[in-house]
Amino acid sequence: MTIRANRCILLVMTVALLWPLTGCWDRRELNELAISVALGIDKVDDKYQVTVQVVQPAEVASQKGGAGNYAPVVMYQTTGITIFEAIRKMTITSPRKIYASHLRIVVIGEQLAREGIGNALDLLSRDYELRTDFFLLVAKGIKAEKVLKILVPLEKIPANKIYNSIRTSEKVWAPVTAVTLDDFIMDYESKGKNPVINGIRVTGNAEIGIKKENVEMIQPAARIKNSGIAVFRKDQMIGWLTEDQSKGYNYVINTIKSTVGHIQCPDGGYVALEVVRSKSKMKAAVQNGNLRLAVDIHVEENLGEVQCQLDLTKVSVIQELERKAELRVKDLVEQTMDSAQKKFRCDFFGFGNALHRSNPKAWKKLQPDWDEHFAEAPVSVTVKVNIKRTGTIGNSFMLDREE
Amino acid sequence: MLDNGKINGRQLMVLIYLYSIGTTVLVIPSGLASVAKQDAWIGGIVGVIIGMALVLLYTALWRVYPGKTFVGICQEALGKGVGTVLSLIYVFYSFIGAATVLFYVSNFFLIHFLPHTPVMFTSSLFALVVVMGSRMGLETIARTSELMLPWFIILFVVLVTTLTPQIDSQKLLPVFESGGKSVFWAGITFSGTAYMPIVFLFSIFPRVQEGLTGKVRLGLFASALAGGLSVVLVTLLCILILGPQITARSMFPSYALVKKISIGHFIQRIEVLLAGLWFITTYMKTTYYYYSWVTSLSEILKLKNYRTLTLPCAMLMVVFSLIVYPNVVYMQHWDTIVFPPYIIVMAVVIPLALWLIGLLKGSKDLSATRK
Repeated sequence: MTIRANRCILLVMTVALLWPLTGCWDRRELNELAISVALGIDKVDDKYQVTVQVVQPAEVASQKGGAGNYAPVVMYQTTGITIFEAIRKMTITSPRKIYASHLRIVVIGEQLAREGIGNALDLLSRDYELRTDFFLLVAKGIKAEKVLKILVPLEKIPANKIYNSIRTSEKVWAPVTAVTLDDFIMDYESKGKNPVINGIRVTGNAEIGIKKENVEMIQPAARIKNSGIAVFRKDQMIGWLTEDQSKGYNYVINTIKSTVGHIQCPDGGYVALEVVRSKSKMKAAVQNGNLRLAVDIHVEENLGEVQCQLDLTKVSVIQELERKAELRVKDLVEQTMDSAQKKFRCDFFGFGNALHRSNPKAWKKLQPDWDEHFAEAPVSVTVKVNIKRTGTIGNSFMLDREE
Repeated sequence: MLDNGKINGRQLMVLIYLYSIGTTVLVIPSGLASVAKQDAWIGGIVGVIIGMALVLLYTALWRVYPGKTFVGICQEALGKGVGTVLSLIYVFYSFIGAATVLFYVSNFFLIHFLPHTPVMFTSSLFALVVVMGSRMGLETIARTSELMLPWFIILFVVLVTTLTPQIDSQKLLPVFESGGKSVFWAGITFSGTAYMPIVFLFSIFPRVQEGLTGKVRLGLFASALAGGLSVVLVTLLCILILGPQITARSMFPSYALVKKISIGHFIQRIEVLLAGLWFITTYMKTTYYYYSWVTSLSEILKLKNYRTLTLPCAMLMVVFSLIVYPNVVYMQHWDTIVFPPYIIVMAVVIPLALWLIGLLKGSKDLSATRK
């Protein structure tokens, strides 16, 4: 009797367990999500135009190889007074709700960037679904939606292509700098540094770029390229750095991991040098009431390619190369500093923060119109280059032949 | 019959450790950073020092009134009438404490994991486990915290080690810019969240088997110190990685912090696993607040068994946690403006007064026996 009663109770309890299942409010199945990988933000007549690149799961799945009938990603676009609204509104065209946790890049149209992007970024830092590991980019000269339309080879998902190429070139190619949302906000909030964002642009024939034809060619008609750094004052973009200046920028703020540069040999021809290590220090000091800025850079390089007559058995030749390399880096850095002080009159390096750290009292005095003080301050750049190795060989095989 | 379970000194240590980390680790880095900027961690250390003084006060109080709960202490020091009133105020506070902590937990769930689930359900489910623990008695809760400790420590070590590559030591500079006043104020808020609630543990101090031996006393100090320093370490990581501004602006900075974990772009996005850390500590904190509330109330009402109170009290707690803060902005206002003076009165002024009264009475008794 008791056993039967117990069993009855057990059965009732088991059935009762089904109740909680009906009330799973936040359940979201994989096939109900539109996984967005890129977000583009533009401004069209006072409204935000939001573009989202969403993965087509069937096309991207590697096991089936993809049917090849559809494009690997699909784009949704809406406009709204606020971005949050616009993204929600996408459900009127999209069968699934946009899921933003796997966002890789956020592209901002240049026009919007020049008007100011602070308001546009609030949602990105407030929404719980977004992680903070995506990159911010500015579309150079075009609207963000244009960038998100281009199909690319090698990576099926264009957003992944852009993300990976930034990550890779940030490591091995000096002019590129990866900026995440947190970096931007941190710079925006600190009074001693203005933010920068890496630029991106479309080269070639954008008309073909949006078609699948683009990836069927060996040499795609349109490509997406990294292009220099966009300089901001607070949240408003004020201009672009050239490739050399972008390189100089990365030398100053000590983000160079590795890069390759060239210098001219004494008798014409070039030598390529690979930077393997670079260490820089920004200093800002106040002496006798005058602000002075200084950059100290230590670079370790290897000889990577020789296209001229150089006798690499001589120590003096290496020393000569070192001196030239120093001049080259110094020139890059001075160019960048020059454009910052004269053209932009804007401290996007963080000298203000350096002063804040080393001399809080002086900083307090100079902080209200820091950019002006920065623009007028003399800068001294010292560069020390050490060339350590010459690759797997010593002298070039061409040396004897040409003599 | 009240809970007869006994705990030993080691269990008390574990308990104090998890209790002082509690919700502190989740929210305090934000409060510290908004007051003291990059010096938030110094504020934390000041808080730990204040905390040590508080532990000294509580052990002194414990020594003067051995074997008494806080209710018992009030009644002995101030007589039946006034003592009961005072202990009611105290009981009310532990009720508020339990409800607000419950709000924190469900708020955290709501913001980061379950935005569309009614709060009612997240808090009810959490409260259910709390009630279960309290009904089973102190021994069960204490053993649970012992079982949880290794998990907590594993998660904590993972958190700290996986984050070290992202540290940027420049973010700490310039050190001590915000000045003594704000650092001290930060220390007060720190100890207010981490240490002052220890006063509610007076409901379990009499259950410590050994009583207040030198070893137990030392254990109390050590575990409170370890708990505080763990929170300081997390605060330091927040400043070193997120920077003071983002830390100050985040609702749950330590959660924002673990979102940053990325080792070789391979071990990443593990924030939900690490959230287990806070489930453990907040569970312990809610449970002890709640336990203290229910047992003290039953002591005042002279009930034979505190367990009859657990269910109705839990309902009160859940409902109150839904309305205790009308919105999160109010919550932040209350936490920074109202809470510190309130808890200072409850956890510093009153215990200090009780201790002095106890000392005076003690010396009177002593002189009386001498005559």
